[in-house]
Amino acid sequence: MTTALAILARFGAMLGLLLVNGVMLIYMLRKVLGRLHIRIGPNRVGPWGLLQTTNDVIKLLTKEDLRPDSADAWLFNIAPFLIFVPSFMAYLPLVFGPSLTVTSLDTGVLLVFALTALVPLGVVMAGWASNSKWSLLGGMRAAGLQIAYEVPLLLSALGPVMMAGSLNPVAIVAAQSGTWFGFIPRWFVLPQVIAFVVYAISSQAETQQTPFDMSEAESELITGFANEYGGMRFSFMYLAEFSNMFIVSAIGTMLFFGGWQLPWVATPAWLAPIVFIAKTYVGIFVMMWARGSLPRFRVDQMLSFCWKRLIPISLGWVVLWACIQRLAPVVIAAVVR
Amino acid sequence: MWGSGIIKGFAITMRNMLRTPITVQYPEQRLELPERARWAVAPRYDEAGLPKCTACLICVKECPDHVLSIEVSKNAEGGKHIDRYVYEVGACMMCGLCVEACPFSAIEMSHEYELATRDHGDLVRVLLSDVDAASPRRAKGGDDA
Repeated sequence: MTTALAILARFGAMLGLLLVNGVMLIYMLRKVLGRLHIRIGPNRVGPWGLLQTTNDVIKLLTKEDLRPDSADAWLFNIAPFLIFVPSFMAYLPLVFGPSLTVTSLDTGVLLVFALTALVPLGVVMAGWASNSKWSLLGGMRAAGLQIAYEVPLLLSALGPVMMAGSLNPVAIVAAQSGTWFGFIPRWFVLPQVIAFVVYAISSQAETQQTPFDMSEAESELITGFANEYGGMRFSFMYLAEFSNMFIVSAIGTMLFFGGWQLPWVATPAWLAPIVFIAKTYVGIFVMMWARGSLPRFRVDQMLSFCWKRLIPISLGWVVLWACIQRLAPVVIAAVVR
Repeated sequence: MWGSGIIKGFAITMRNMLRTPITVQYPEQRLELPERARWAVAPRYDEAGLPKCTACLICVKECPDHVLSIEVSKNAEGGKHIDRYVYEVGACMMCGLCVEACPFSAIEMSHEYELATRDHGDLVRVLLSDVDAASPRRAKGGDDA
């Protein structure tokens, strides 16, 4: 009984985090994009426009649940949940502190990437089921692009995984404590800078952020796959998008920036979640910054960039790093002797 | 350098972020209009508060959109009397040709730019009604154009 309650409480905490995050990030996105474009952003509802998102949530909740007549009802109905559920599940292995995690999985990193890989499936499903050419185009683009960008995303995560020798996020974060030579924080971003750049670019594509938002592409596809959705179904998709942003940023923090740990000083347990979320939000800010700065790629440019640049670079880096990690101790030992 | 354009773009947006927004919060704050701004046509009056319009109808003939019309009659002294000077602001394109054409500077392009109305009929304005037209001789004396 207590186990069941504990599991329920953990899921409740995950859901609460996801919802609060969604509301926060939507407000943050509007404000950040506004300021990047020398605008003010929302400022009418509540002080500094803080209640704008709440207002929008209420609007979405009370809207009629519409479905086009010619839509494939079954697929149309389950697609938003297929997009939402994986991004909800991906909160499972996040490490918020030394002992603060929903589950400590030995294959946590793999699980996150496996779950986020399900999102394009839901997007394709939504695009197909809507029976609209814009939606279909959006869905097909998602199939072509997001699935392609999974490959460099996974490969770029391999570097830190090799350095930590584990797929368990807890172990990966723990391996980044302390310093190199007494003053450089032991964050994997320093030796893995190439992997980090690849990770940053492909995570932007994976979360459908603006330079790579072909499947939505407001100006050409009128929000693409989400075109025919409204009300709660649309907000599930919208929420999943922002929750994915949080997840890729959190994973990036864990893999490359030492997770919940402060550099140089020991982190008290109560401060760990704050540090982790602060780092994650810095990552999200950078994603929004890119979103406000860069125009959308062309589809063929984006595909060739993935297959001809990112994948060879990340593959080469994995091979190179494997060699370095294996050979360096041998070479050093030989030199020292 | 390959990719330097992206870095430059990021620098520009960050510089924008650190600047204060240029947004003018319209109903509360307003920009001052430049002197030559052209908005709704308005009649001008002399020192005595009488309209300067002589009912010569040049503005009516000049208007490319036919938004001006003046109904003129004779008064007891045999002078012109303006029954109604009608202006359809909803159809006006604020070109200012009527004002340029007016030989007596009797109309002007005003700075009234909040022209939205709740009633369709309010888009047709009566600028002058039931008033004697200025005699051209009097208007020439006090001409300020």
